[in-house]
Amino acid sequence: MRKYFSLFLISLQEYFTYRLSFVLWRVRSLVSFLVLLFFWLAVYSQTSSFAGYQKSQMFTYVIGVAFLRGLIFATRSNVLASWIRDGGLNIILIRPLSVFKVLLSRDLADKLLNVGFVILEIFLIAKIFNLSLFLPKSFLTIVCFLIFLALAFFLNFFISIVISLTAFWTDDIWAVRFLFGVIFLELFSGALFPIDILPGGLKNVLFWTPFPYLVYFPLKVWLGQANRGEITRIILVCAAWTILFVWLAKRLWDKGYKEYGAYGG
Amino acid sequence: MVGKKFSIFNFQFSIRSIRKLIKIWLLIASRVAQIQLMTGWGGFAFLLGKIIRFLFFFVFIFSVLSKTRSLVGYSREQVVLFFLVFNLIDISTQALFRGVYQFRRLVVEGDYDFDLLRPLPSFFRPIFGWTDILDIITLIPLGIYFWLFVVRNNLFVNSASVLIFILLFANSMVLGFSLHLAICAVCVLTTEIDHLIWIYRDVTNTGRFPTDIYSKGIQYFLTFGVPVIILMTIPAEALLGLLTWRGMMLSIVVTAVFFLLSWKFWRYSLSRYTSASS
Repeated sequence: MRKYFSLFLISLQEYFTYRLSFVLWRVRSLVSFLVLLFFWLAVYSQTSSFAGYQKSQMFTYVIGVAFLRGLIFATRSNVLASWIRDGGLNIILIRPLSVFKVLLSRDLADKLLNVGFVILEIFLIAKIFNLSLFLPKSFLTIVCFLIFLALAFFLNFFISIVISLTAFWTDDIWAVRFLFGVIFLELFSGALFPIDILPGGLKNVLFWTPFPYLVYFPLKVWLGQANRGEITRIILVCAAWTILFVWLAKRLWDKGYKEYGAYGG
Repeated sequence: MVGKKFSIFNFQFSIRSIRKLIKIWLLIASRVAQIQLMTGWGGFAFLLGKIIRFLFFFVFIFSVLSKTRSLVGYSREQVVLFFLVFNLIDISTQALFRGVYQFRRLVVEGDYDFDLLRPLPSFFRPIFGWTDILDIITLIPLGIYFWLFVVRNNLFVNSASVLIFILLFANSMVLGFSLHLAICAVCVLTTEIDHLIWIYRDVTNTGRFPTDIYSKGIQYFLTFGVPVIILMTIPAEALLGLLTWRGMMLSIVVTAVFFLLSWKFWRYSLSRYTSASS
């Protein structure tokens, strides 16, 4: 465990070495956040309720997206694909380390820093725009939200690992990442807007994918828009998706590892 | 006319040399297209991703505006038009100036030296060295749909507004070129380009919706800082017949200023180019 904690600390140090890169990354996240915020400010300037969302609920949703982007989406596990293609994986394989745990340590460092900055940014923007946030009425809702966060954290981690592991069989690692790890992740998770705004047919198709369990459903729980029965159901489905992707990641790793040519390492 | 010459970027331009540059650009673009289309699955995934993103935003705007009926005074069809113009300009600039994304490698590895030795303008390879065929493929159906949308929804004001739109579209291309050139200049000085180009992309995304949704301060920044309003919003306003002559002149003047400043900055950066890794 200590060696992974050391890796976690080293990853943190890397961020402090390349400070400008990190600051620019935060600027990018802030710009995306502000575009969404201004769009909804314009919508709510002419109405107090939209598609079942009160003003405070929608702004809580937008802020929640910014928070979950830092906590759930921030990941460095995509580096695994490059390691496989350029042989960088060799250095991990010859050491007494688990690849998944190495990536998880790096991810945790990434998330820690991102969440720290996101909270600061959210606080400042909420003050500047005088945004009132929606808080859950019961303690149970907060507990369910935290369970959801833990599941979403691992679900996104293993989805990202599965995408990276395709590098064992294809050179087009960026195409795979762009389609599944950027487009599907951004659009289908509810990270741009609540999915229930979309027409019924499209919404139902998206609910059959794992992506809404990363952002949309956790925020629906926080906003009190799901009853106990629904919360239980969506937590169970999220857990099932997580188990499926853990299994898939292990299976792809076992299969890919045997075919790994260690080129360039 | 063929013999007449003028000088920009320290390169003697004439109709003949421009023809030569277009020929070289077509050669490079065809090679790049072969590379992109050779990896069939990769090209398909990128193309599919771009189409899904466009359709998803389109459905989102339609769904929201079907409920609210208007946004900051614009009707649903007008907001959709802003979105379509944003996509046309965004995809065109990306298709043409994609070379910027490859420029860092040229500088870091020192390969840019070879380009400086060639009888080409210094900006040619950094900006036009990679033309994205996938974006060009996307532009064809988008352009057709854009035109059908304008005609079917009676957004066509008169021929003059179409002519002004075409002029301002060209103006946006010049402005887009200037902004990409400035980013290349930063790359020569610092070798930093990835984050900068993505920040540029994120800021231009503010033009996805009518920029009247932003506060006055941000609108000033989007006019004179990173001129997204000139780049994306003003051409759409021109087509809708909402643009004043003052707005049009401002658009052209801002573009001219950015063009000159970018060029000066580019020249300054080249004077500092060390060709360190060659």
